[in-house]
Amino acid sequence: MVDIANEIKQQVQERRPLTLAMILTNRWFLYGVSMLAFFLAWDMAAVARVFSSGLPRPYEVVLQLWRMMFDPLAGKSLLGHIWASTQRILIGFTIASLVAVPLGLMMALNRYVNAIVKPLFDLLKPMPPLAWISIAILWFGIGETSKVFIIIIGTFVPCLLDAYNGVRLVEPELYDVIRMLGGNRRHEIIQVCFPAAFPAIFAGLQIALSIAWSCVLAAELVSARSGLGFIIILGMNLSRPAMVVGGMVVIALVAWTMSQLVSGLERFVCPWKREIDSR
Amino acid sequence: MREERHPGQAKIECKDITKVFIQKGKQRVHVLDHISLDVKENEFVVILGPGQSGKSTLLRIIAGLETPTEGHVRIDGQEVEGPGPERGLVFQGYMLFAWKTVLGNVEMGPKLRGVPKKERREIAAHYIHLVGLDGFENHYPHQLSGGMKQRVGIARAYANNPQVMLLDEPFGQLDAQTRYFMEKETARIWETEKRTILFVTNNIDEAIYLADRIVTMEGKLPGRMHVVYRVDLPRPREHTDMAFLKLRHEITEASELTL
Amino acid sequence: MAYEQVKVKTPLILRLLPILSIITFFGTWQLVVDWEIVPSTMLASPIQIFQLFLVKWTEVNPDGALLSQHIWTSVQEAFTGYLLALLVGIPLGLAMGWFIVVEGLSRPIFEMIRPIPPVAWIPLVIFWFGIGISGKVFIIWIGGIVPCVINSYEGVRMTNPTLIQMARTYGATDWQIFKQICIPSALPMVFGALQIALACCWTNLVAAELLAADVGLGFLITMGRKLALPDMVLLGMIMIGLTGVVIGVVINYFEKRLLAGIRR
Ligand SMILES: Nc1ncnc2c1ncn2[C@@H]1O[C@H](COP(=O)(O)OP(=O)(O)OP(=O)(O)O)[C@@H](O)[C@H]1O
Ligand SMILES: [Mg+2]
Repeated sequence: MVDIANEIKQQVQERRPLTLAMILTNRWFLYGVSMLAFFLAWDMAAVARVFSSGLPRPYEVVLQLWRMMFDPLAGKSLLGHIWASTQRILIGFTIASLVAVPLGLMMALNRYVNAIVKPLFDLLKPMPPLAWISIAILWFGIGETSKVFIIIIGTFVPCLLDAYNGVRLVEPELYDVIRMLGGNRRHEIIQVCFPAAFPAIFAGLQIALSIAWSCVLAAELVSARSGLGFIIILGMNLSRPAMVVGGMVVIALVAWTMSQLVSGLERFVCPWKREIDSR
Repeated sequence: MREERHPGQAKIECKDITKVFIQKGKQRVHVLDHISLDVKENEFVVILGPGQSGKSTLLRIIAGLETPTEGHVRIDGQEVEGPGPERGLVFQGYMLFAWKTVLGNVEMGPKLRGVPKKERREIAAHYIHLVGLDGFENHYPHQLSGGMKQRVGIARAYANNPQVMLLDEPFGQLDAQTRYFMEKETARIWETEKRTILFVTNNIDEAIYLADRIVTMEGKLPGRMHVVYRVDLPRPREHTDMAFLKLRHEITEASELTL
Repeated sequence: MAYEQVKVKTPLILRLLPILSIITFFGTWQLVVDWEIVPSTMLASPIQIFQLFLVKWTEVNPDGALLSQHIWTSVQEAFTGYLLALLVGIPLGLAMGWFIVVEGLSRPIFEMIRPIPPVAWIPLVIFWFGIGISGKVFIIWIGGIVPCVINSYEGVRMTNPTLIQMARTYGATDWQIFKQICIPSALPMVFGALQIALACCWTNLVAAELLAADVGLGFLITMGRKLALPDMVLLGMIMIGLTGVVIGVVINYFEKRLLAGIRR
């Protein structure tokens, strides 16, 4: 009877038939080929001036990045600019999630709050976050406040929506379990609502993060003296494509790292989801 | 005020329970019709009925999760007004907390009642051992098989030390072999820790194997009680016993349940 | 038999609160402007915006185009980008889900480009395409293609493996399995992508028109800012929101019709 108790779910690995073309269809081999082809094509397009002078060669980009690491640009090195953008995101994002997540939870738990907030929220929801840039500049000028403001506006919606939905989609019988075990309303909220909503909240945070990046870059494109958006717009104004592409590369790297950090945080906070994700 | 208990008084006493649901604000569904049922202390009663006969609803009413439209339920002579820890319910779906380990799930009842950590760990360990899940304390529900999840559900209900256990088709989603094994386990657990058990199933063999008494339900809504059988077979029972098969035949004939 | 069942009914207050909430919102907004609590260079009242809305149908100045021209240009750009995203993204995603060679070759490139927000492409795109419509379409396209690829890919990946094995035992070729089993089972996810991609495209429209444009709703907003006309900025924002909702409803309608047609 122990063997039945010992049955643990095992993921069945899909198997592919062994062929001679095994190496050719090896995933990592193909990845390598793909990267190589990509950079070769890029280099050739740059040399052949397909986009006239609008496309730098890859090594020029690397060189440009190297230079920016040490020569300050508008008073800041590359790291300084990265930090400038990151800081704006962190501030805006923190404020938004600190307000939006509790508000979303409250909307889901209390129908009076829901009745008041939901209609306003539905009204503002269809407005793309970037559309707020102009009004933000009218209100707060071109300083830091307007940048943080549009990040808050942009990330508020997904944070709130996912917290709200996370709670709404909780299996209602789980509340019955708590009540059967002798718990009260407070226990239902602490033991069921919050943990069940965590994955949805994290999904919202991921979306919010990518929106935050769009917002901060757009704001920096319009007006800024620092940040990664400033680097690429400066590159454009100075007609230096290497600077533009270098900026984009850094943006991709930093944005990717941040989203990995959020995933890592999720794995830490919700260990019960680990195996479902890594399927 | 708790009434003085006379010997022989029923542990669970259901009187004329009728339940009408209003679906989508309009349509009425008459689910239960004048169900009266007494269960004695430490008795194992099985409610046997086909799908959609209101079995879950009856159990939820006894559990206090649903209020009957008419009639009342008494436990130890006290009217049931809501869910309470003196009754334990094992749900038809597993209904485990996905974010808690096996241990966390099992110790939830004592935790909610404010039992200190060390003590509730001991209680949980005891019941995890009782259902045969030693070594799986730190597994999350998604790492367990169906049968193991169901055991966690049973251990969780037991850990709250209820006087009455209500089990709603606990083995409905298991394969035949695991199911048979779990029935044996249930009988074993009941013999080690006697409780008053009300067990819902749609499987005749399971009913005869476990029950002191079997209550069959009619197959269509509104659910009515059909026949009550007393099962006097010695335990542990054998599915191939002559008396077993005879009773099985009798119930099948009477309730027109398919074999 | 008499049943005493409490009829579940939304209390009056719960039905009134949303209306009150909206009225309070607009009322406060109007009063804040009327009483000049905030300067009129920063905020326009709902009534002013509505007046501008009526005027802009016939008045070209100060931004150089009628409201209908702005809307039409934006819709055109968004839809061109959207359709191109569907045309490229869905087949690519489907193929990536099934053919290991396609996945191996396109995945790294896709993953490299994905974290770059569409806004970040603006300067490069201006180098490449100038400030014409093609650059805007490119930015919208690159934003819309991501959900198309991801959803189609996931759709194929989620195909029931039993079905595939069954087809294998019947001797179906890879291509046949892909066409007969994977694509149909991925369809619901693909249809999901239609909506998501549209939302992405419409959002990116503002990004596309952010820097270089002479007509379009995003341009209307930018122009309003440059001229310090809050009513124009807000009108632009509201029109973008409104048009987005209308397009979403229309697409939803067609999606339902299409799905019903396929199911049959
Ligand atoms: N909360 C509810 N609101 C409205 N109708 C309900 C509700 N709960 C149950 N019902 C209805 O009551 C009927 C009986 O349901 P119940 O779950 O009690 O049946 P059951 O005998 O447990 O069936 P099964 O064997 O499939 O579990 C069903 O027709 C169902 O639609
Ligand atoms: Mg049931």
